[in-house]
Amino acid sequence: MDLYIPEKLKWLQQQQMVSPEFLQILGSGGREELKRVESYLGNTNDELQSFRHFPEFGPDYNVIDGCISRTSSFQMEPVKNDEVNRAISFQNKRKPEGKTEKREKKKIKTEAETETSMKGKSNMSNTETSSEIQKPDYIHVRARRGEATDRHSLAERARREKISKKMKCLQDIVPGCTKVTGKAGMLDEIINYVQSLQQQVEFLSMKLSVLNPELEFHINELSTKQAYFADLPEAVSKQSVMADLQSFPLHQQGSLDYSVINSSQTTSLGIVIIFLLDKTKIIIPKQIVTCP
Amino acid sequence: MERKTINKRKRVFSLQPNKNPKAVFARRYASHLVPALNKINMNKPTSKKDHKSFEQTVKHEVGMALALSAQEFAWGRFLQHKLLSPTHEDPSYSSKILERSDYKQEGEEEEAEIKKRLKELQKLLPGGEEMNMDEMLSEIGSYIVCLELQMIVLKSLVQDNSS
Repeated sequence: MDLYIPEKLKWLQQQQMVSPEFLQILGSGGREELKRVESYLGNTNDELQSFRHFPEFGPDYNVIDGCISRTSSFQMEPVKNDEVNRAISFQNKRKPEGKTEKREKKKIKTEAETETSMKGKSNMSNTETSSEIQKPDYIHVRARRGEATDRHSLAERARREKISKKMKCLQDIVPGCTKVTGKAGMLDEIINYVQSLQQQVEFLSMKLSVLNPELEFHINELSTKQAYFADLPEAVSKQSVMADLQSFPLHQQGSLDYSVINSSQTTSLGIVIIFLLDKTKIIIPKQIVTCP
Repeated sequence: MERKTINKRKRVFSLQPNKNPKAVFARRYASHLVPALNKINMNKPTSKKDHKSFEQTVKHEVGMALALSAQEFAWGRFLQHKLLSPTHEDPSYSSKILERSDYKQEGEEEEAEIKKRLKELQKLLPGGEEMNMDEMLSEIGSYIVCLELQMIVLKSLVQDNSS
């Protein structure tokens, strides 16, 4: 990466986008500066790696340029256009991707930070301390080609993507959601489901209050027959025998009375695999358990 | 249902009782609810007149059990605070939301619809009003799962004791 920076500086000089002052800064504490900047830009990302093979390539310079230019209030537009053109020409050489993507970063505190670091130009330690102080929480957003690249729309898009990701997770949880498409329909389904669950809980608690006075509850007798989840994600091995859950009492610590298991006549091959309410399987050879 | 004698020596234990969060929740829930119900039973006055308040107590306990077993989630903590502080809800609250749909523009109709639904969802989740959209969506997932588990436990309680 050190070979990289002097080339960049030359390029910047050519573009005349950078004032000589700044070059001074870059010269002295510049490496840290640019290193830091590049780490903000997600330098470790694969995307940028592909850029590295083309040292004469514009974009990453541009991006750094972008951040530099913001502080020195240079214009970004002409640079952008160039970059897009270059992006087209280099399209074939890139790693196979759908669209050419222009990297653009949203910075929350860029101006303030680089200004403070500019002020500390003469003092190496200053830049270092300021680098310690700034622990920015950047949101790295990638702007696709043909889409707006200003801050607000990027923020909007990032937000929307987060929300759609979460909606997908919800789709898995709520049954019957896969048929419906679109956010509104899914949200409708979710709302209905939550409402129905809440109503059922109310109904059951009412039933419970009716039964309550007459009977005593024993937690030991809480059966797990409904506890069998129909959609067990873990594959059951071939030798496993699902113990009959109908008569299993669930104890408080998640243990079962073995005598009950024994009596349910589903043991075989000397191995009992028990599905408790939790999906952890316990493989207990019969011999071990029966010995006191 | 007669009580079976339980032979402690032959008890089978789960090797990893805390591995599956669903199981942890269900166990916690049952362990909160059942003693509470027993206590209600014991302290219950013999008069049948206040069946309604009895119902409410049971409901309260059901809600508390849910809240106590879900302390990791924001909605659980919120629910606990709500149940512990004696405030009464305004029942006409939910109807107000639907009246605001008049002024939405044509182009943004879909977004407004979505927003309306998100707001409704917020109302369903305890504590949802104070969260922003991102948080709420993550909490909704856990809330749904816990409601399902609660249903399972309640159903089995009812079924066992009604046969």
